[in-house]
Amino acid sequence: MSPTLVVDIVVGGLITGGIYALVALGLNLQYGLMRVLNVAHGEFLMMGAYLTYSLHTAWGVNPLLTLLITGPASFGAGLVLHRLLYARVLAGEAAEALESRSLLLSFGLLFVLQNAALLLWSADLKGYSYLAVPLHFLGSVFPANRLVAAAVALAVSLAFYVFLQQSFLGKAIRALMQDPEGAQLAGINLSRVHGLCFGIGIAMSAVTGSLISMLFELTPFIGLPYTVTALVVVILGGLGNVAGSLLGGLILGLVETASVYLAASDIRLIASYAVLSLILILKPSGLFGR
Amino acid sequence: MALVAAPEILSPYYRSLALAILADVALAVSWAFFSGPSRYLSLATGAFFGAGAYLTAIVEARVPWPLPVLGGALMGGAMALLVGALALRLRGPYFAVFTFGLAELAKHSLIWYETGVTGTVGRLILAPPEPWTLYYTILCLAGLAVLTALALRRSRWGYALAGIGSDEERAETLGIDTTRVKIGTFALSAAFMGAVGAAMAPRWTYLDPQVFNPFVSFQTVIMALLGGATTVAGPIVGAVFLGLASEILLLKFRYLYLLGLGLTLIVVVLALPSGLAGLLRRSSPSPLSSPPAGERAG
Repeated sequence: MSPTLVVDIVVGGLITGGIYALVALGLNLQYGLMRVLNVAHGEFLMMGAYLTYSLHTAWGVNPLLTLLITGPASFGAGLVLHRLLYARVLAGEAAEALESRSLLLSFGLLFVLQNAALLLWSADLKGYSYLAVPLHFLGSVFPANRLVAAAVALAVSLAFYVFLQQSFLGKAIRALMQDPEGAQLAGINLSRVHGLCFGIGIAMSAVTGSLISMLFELTPFIGLPYTVTALVVVILGGLGNVAGSLLGGLILGLVETASVYLAASDIRLIASYAVLSLILILKPSGLFGR
Repeated sequence: MALVAAPEILSPYYRSLALAILADVALAVSWAFFSGPSRYLSLATGAFFGAGAYLTAIVEARVPWPLPVLGGALMGGAMALLVGALALRLRGPYFAVFTFGLAELAKHSLIWYETGVTGTVGRLILAPPEPWTLYYTILCLAGLAVLTALALRRSRWGYALAGIGSDEERAETLGIDTTRVKIGTFALSAAFMGAVGAAMAPRWTYLDPQVFNPFVSFQTVIMALLGGATTVAGPIVGAVFLGLASEILLLKFRYLYLLGLGLTLIVVVLALPSGLAGLLRRSSPSPLSSPPAGERAG
């Protein structure tokens, strides 16, 4: 294996992995805290991507600046959706019925968002070119937009991790993940924190979408594969384990990039599902699970 | 009786509409007799349906008609035994996610196999059976599915399944072989799905791995839940209702219809946890209408 190939795989893998980590972090926040398995997670990514595309092509807004719009807008949408849909299901239900019903709700949401996007933007491929200049790095060549996207994704992920460790709200979130009853006894408002976290999770997905729109062409169907990837990462890293999601994202990015370079690209999705199934069966608590 | 005489009376258009709706009835009823009482939310319908359909596409020219349907049933059942042995240990959303992945996994593995090994993606069905043969095949399957669901409800096996749905650990303590009951019923329901897939395949003259369609899984769940998954009549009502709606709306307003389907699912989950059938039952002032165990499935 030549050194250039190693650099290709490692840097390429970290780029992909950084993006995966951010999507997975959002999903994990929703599942770890609320037991809401949001299969519409990738659809918010798709919506964020289209929002950036429209803002950029219609008004010439810099794609990176659109993060300041897609982030807050999707955060608001998340708050509203939590209040309208999930808060009603989450109130006073046995854990198992709750998980199934919230799962069905997200499937409904998936249909609604995907077909709304088809009505708004049609099924045609949409895309634009931004920062598509080659950068030379240790003898390998990478497009600048990928490096920028991955850097932003990793920065947002790390910022969130620090927020979770240091801030008061972050500590409240962690307390709720560890012991919902104890945290509530200590005066933490469960429903409010749930709403905020749902919003933050969706904002992470939409921001990732904005970044992805700089790299790939868009269709209304790009969401689901990212949901599956995020699920694999979350299960790999352990449910509710934030650091695990970050690491899991990077690992999956590396594994996938290596398999594309060394085997064939159409094996990628099969590999993802196979990894998901194996972990579900062998170690449902995740690789780093307690 | 009207359904048996239907092919004689109806024009080809209405016969094919009736065929599609009967297939939906068979799928929804067989989904509900497992997932309704047991509360294991299966999204594998598309995988079993696809397996049956693709089997027909492969063997169709070589064997006489009812055999592909039997083959589809065996195929669906065998897949379910394998998947069930692995996945039925998972509870809640894990099982749903696993079964959802199954259709995608089957599709992509098949594409990979067909392009890599046989070199052909897609198969033509050259000698489909007569339309009325197909109609009676599907009618039989729908009837059998309903009879199975009715028989299951009154059997020890059915009570065991409902027991698993309300509290699996307690059911196990009471001496129910939960693994056998779960996997057995799952395989039975998958056998119907495989058979329906095999019987519906000749309607398309050309099949490719896209027949492993996750949409089939969702539509089945929505039909059963809309009608009420814990009754036998519920899935039938749901399938007829959504079958007609999709026939009228799907071609003209495709995306709007699917958007509405998503909204329907949300409304059903939030407002009608026991489906349309539950709505009817609640309005009738019967003192015996307290919901049985596992009522709030899904």
